[in-house]
Amino acid sequence: MGRPLKFNIFRYNPEDPASVPHMESFHLEETDAMTLYIALNRIREEQDPTLMFDFMCRAGICGSCAMMINGRPDLACHTKTKALPAEINLMPLPVFKLIGDLSVDTGTWFRNMNERVRSYIHTDKVFDPNADEERMSNELADEIYELERCIECGCCVAACGKANMVPNFMGATAFNRVARFMMDPRDQRKTDDYFEIVATDDGIFGCLGLLGCEDVCPKDIPLQDQLGMLRRKMGWASVRHLFDKILPGGDAKKK
Amino acid sequence: MMSDQTAVAQVQPVRTEAYLDFLQMLSGVALVMFMWAHMILVASVNLDLGGGRVMNWIAHFFEATYMAQIGGPMIALVMLAHFVLAARKLPFKAREQKEMWRHSVRLNHLDTWLWVIQAVTAFIILIMGCIHMWTVLTDLPITAQKSGARIQGGWWMLFYIFLLPMIELHVGIGAYRIGVKWGWIKRSNRQFFHGLENKITLIFITIGVITLFTFYVLVKPM
Ligand code: HEM
Ligand code: SF4
Ligand code: SF4
Ligand code: FES
Repeated sequence: MGRPLKFNIFRYNPEDPASVPHMESFHLEETDAMTLYIALNRIREEQDPTLMFDFMCRAGICGSCAMMINGRPDLACHTKTKALPAEINLMPLPVFKLIGDLSVDTGTWFRNMNERVRSYIHTDKVFDPNADEERMSNELADEIYELERCIECGCCVAACGKANMVPNFMGATAFNRVARFMMDPRDQRKTDDYFEIVATDDGIFGCLGLLGCEDVCPKDIPLQDQLGMLRRKMGWASVRHLFDKILPGGDAKKK
Repeated sequence: MMSDQTAVAQVQPVRTEAYLDFLQMLSGVALVMFMWAHMILVASVNLDLGGGRVMNWIAHFFEATYMAQIGGPMIALVMLAHFVLAARKLPFKAREQKEMWRHSVRLNHLDTWLWVIQAVTAFIILIMGCIHMWTVLTDLPITAQKSGARIQGGWWMLFYIFLLPMIELHVGIGAYRIGVKWGWIKRSNRQFFHGLENKITLIFITIGVITLFTFYVLVKPM
């Protein structure tokens, strides 16, 4: 017989005027290899069909199922109940707009983020469908892929003190996205172009270096290294600009 | 008029926020260096077990070269600048403070707590540091005997024994976080530097406690 598990789940439906935010408890017996995905689906099927939560791939790929699991953002589908105590608190991710219960709208946030960092390859080359593909070294392709693995789950944003304080803060996932395009030789943007996007108090210079993002990312993306690289690059770019401006013979507009 | 400004803004990005953050880092580094140097100089009183010859000589050197008279107020200015620059990152709105606190309790994550400690110690240092600097710099020259007399009065002992860990925590965490924010501390060596930060903080607190003990017990007041 498996452990008896107690789930304390946040309940609130903003669409329903009669609904008030509260915690509701559910009980389940633990089964072999049970994940929170399995547990939540059983609760919905067997105990309360109105329970709201998001899932798609149940394999850590789509990023829909992120929630606060005992206070820590993580993917429900790859969290085994075995790794948790018998009492499990589930809350929706903070920062994002609540849809209901455990379901939040990460889509709008991420769309906005992608627009802000202009998340596509900027080039004025005209695409020639008949030409050979441009080549790229395997190492570089690997490095880009490492950052490309972000599944937009929102865990890093929920774990970020700054993002919790300041809704307009870009968040580590945006810095990671920018770092990915800076690496890409096909993107013709220059440091100044990126500077305009991220070098603000809502961008990299607002990052407090708390590394909540780094410590929770379920895909283990090296966020810390991107934050450091970006701040240093943008910091030096501004200092170099200043020197160019104040030193004789310098010309800030050259770059 | 309006469109002119828009055009100008498009040519060059606004760099003020970058400059301010860079200056914040520089002021932080300067103050860390100063605090460590300060501790080593004050701890020189231990070298002859509270006799004060070494410390008095060092103090005299700094005053004879006017480094204390000029350096002291300069440090006060750097501290003020640092405060203004760093405070830009602090939550001053009640809503932000509440969110940050809720978040810290909920996530219960070491590096996040370290930042909260830094934010709280900052204000303690601001007030107590000013009191300390005013007291010492308006009563030059610095001698081991005078400092000893002050500390043996009792209240100043309490003052310093409280201020010491506040400073060392703020400085140690600050140095670590500068490394993280500017990318010198990476994922691969974070554990090492975290440990180093703890050790350095502990070592300086220990030196500080020993030094306060010397002032309290061994130094013969005038
Ligand atoms: C006057 C009182 C002080 C206040 C109000 C203050 C405030 C702060 C705050 C709020 C931060 C965090 C900034 C951030 O997260 O980005 C900070 C960082 C820091 N503080 Fe202070 N501080 C004070 C004095 C000092 C002193 C005396 C030292 C050194 C002896 C010091 C060294 C540092 C360092 C190294 C950092 C990290 C800088 C960075 O992250 O860029 N501070 N300070
Ligand atoms: S960086 Fe990691 S935590 Fe953040 S959205 Fe991407 S996968 Fe999720
Ligand atoms: S390191 Fe920066 S982005 Fe990451 S959690 Fe901290 S403040 Fe947020
Ligand atoms: S369901 Fe797709 S990541 Fe969990």
